[in-house]
Amino acid sequence: MHSYLIGGLRVSSELELAGAIPFRASEPPVDVTIRRRIVPADLDRASATGPTWAMANGRFLLRVPRLARFLMTDGREMAFESEPGVADRDTAVFALGSAFGILLHQRGTLVLHGAAVAKNGRSLAICGASGAGKSTLAAALCEQGYSLLADDVCAVRVSAGRSDTERNGLPAVFPDGRSLKLWQQAIEHLGLSARRGGAVRDAFEKYYIDPPAAHAAPAPLAAIYILQEARLPHEAGIEALELPDAMRALGGAVWRPRLRDSIAQPRQALTQVTALLRDAAVFRLIRPRGFELMGETVARLGRHLDQLV
Amino acid sequence: MNLGTIVWLASFPKSGNTWFRIFLAGLAAGEHGSVDINNLHQHLEAPGGIASSRAEFEEATMLDSGLLPCDDIDALRPRVHEWTAARAREERWIKVHDAWTLTSLGEPMLGRNTARAAIYLVRDPRDVAVSLASHNNTSIQKAIELMNAPDGALNPGGRGHLTPQLRQKLAGWSGHVTSWLDQTSVPVLPVRYEDLVADPLAGFGAALAFVGREAGEAAIKRAVQRADFAELQRQEKAHGFRERTSGSEPFFRVGRANAWREVLTEDQVRAIEDPHAAVMTRMGYSLSLRSLGPAPEGLLRSAENVARIPGLLRVSA
Repeated sequence: MHSYLIGGLRVSSELELAGAIPFRASEPPVDVTIRRRIVPADLDRASATGPTWAMANGRFLLRVPRLARFLMTDGREMAFESEPGVADRDTAVFALGSAFGILLHQRGTLVLHGAAVAKNGRSLAICGASGAGKSTLAAALCEQGYSLLADDVCAVRVSAGRSDTERNGLPAVFPDGRSLKLWQQAIEHLGLSARRGGAVRDAFEKYYIDPPAAHAAPAPLAAIYILQEARLPHEAGIEALELPDAMRALGGAVWRPRLRDSIAQPRQALTQVTALLRDAAVFRLIRPRGFELMGETVARLGRHLDQLV
Repeated sequence: MNLGTIVWLASFPKSGNTWFRIFLAGLAAGEHGSVDINNLHQHLEAPGGIASSRAEFEEATMLDSGLLPCDDIDALRPRVHEWTAARAREERWIKVHDAWTLTSLGEPMLGRNTARAAIYLVRDPRDVAVSLASHNNTSIQKAIELMNAPDGALNPGGRGHLTPQLRQKLAGWSGHVTSWLDQTSVPVLPVRYEDLVADPLAGFGAALAFVGREAGEAAIKRAVQRADFAELQRQEKAHGFRERTSGSEPFFRVGRANAWREVLTEDQVRAIEDPHAAVMTRMGYSLSLRSLGPAPEGLLRSAENVARIPGLLRVSA
């Protein structure tokens, strides 16, 4: 069995998870176990189904075509079954991504769709749609003295209590991994070929990148940036979002927001987002098109963050 | 009988799809509303979006599309569109640039029984070439290559980065037209862009009637006025347009039929007409080469406008 720390949880896994933070557990308790099991193709008496999934009574079945099936139960167990001939490495990238994201939803954890980095004890999350450039920007920040906290599925600790003592500290991003996943084009533009690890899947031009530093402890979340490519009428720049825009933007920055409410308690995400907004500011970060201007975005973001506290 | 909730608004790129959506927004804006071209979703009762949306695919499948090969994504798309159709409570117009194709499993990629109807917008391929080059900020030559490639696609993947849209197989201009008009899964109404320009009231009205959408003549008239080209150009000049992808050319550029006569070289016209002659003829576009002479009076624009389009040479009159 392998032991990892993922999204603030102690994970015991029969599957080797490249990029996850190894965890030396002298003894249990373990929060999540990942086991190789026979996983059904469907669930009986499903309460909801989708193109690749079904859910029923605390269980969530996820099918990745031609690759593997995952069954998550009560946020505590993940069973996986790979299709014949599929390498564990290929199964692992979906276990750490979608399957773990669903498991965190089952636990009611707030999960943002974004990357997070830390500097001087504070963290920032970069959220946005797939293809917006989150990982690329995070990688560029890591070259400028930031350390990596999470990539893509970003678990946030939020205490929803009303008073400061109840709230048990500031919202924080759980450290989640030591690697970023970057497309070859971004690797070339950022000059990161020397840090290039293995391909995330066979015959894919997407690779693991080990940043210079990874953060090992939860880091208080100071700011959340919603990353967008410049599209008129919006010019490149950073703009603070006030309520209710901030609320709407954060709601959309939750990982797979529409299904979140079906998996976890309805409206729980709303409560968490409200709590998060008390301590973290939300900005719209509009980057110019094209990799060659990434340096400009990194510099702008650095200046902005310096002024925040 | 087809009872799906989706209405496909299908076309090869740069064939009037956005214009049609602005018309729909104008229809939805009611009697006293107005249309903001940068906020079309606000006006469309059901924000349809585009069939190849990466975000919609990921929300439906819970998977990271950046970790799936394009063919695996295509094989899942019938399920995704069925899911979208099943969740829609009312008619939902969805823009689509994908050609009508079958997946590796032999089923329609856009799903079975997802759509009640399709409107297929078609535009003179010679005008498409000019518009596509401007939109993509490429040479006319590159645009023609995409229109002539039977295996051509938008966002073909394998280039080592991710785009907001999934791969969309286009099958070339002729292949695109015939794929939609000859499929038998969804009732389809072909609408020529040129006919819409000439008589928008009749064209938009016929499209609405085809999908069984009831709208009074006054409402259609209002929507046509809101989608008037001069108004769209005015809005774009004042505020820009978010759907413009790149380059310095405005999105709402010429909008007229037959503008190609001013900009395409004879070689370029031949490169389009030769491979697409059969489908052009089928769609009522007359071939020009044997009669290529001076462009008709009034169609000529200033050399300055022509020169702004990269890679263009002017047809000498």
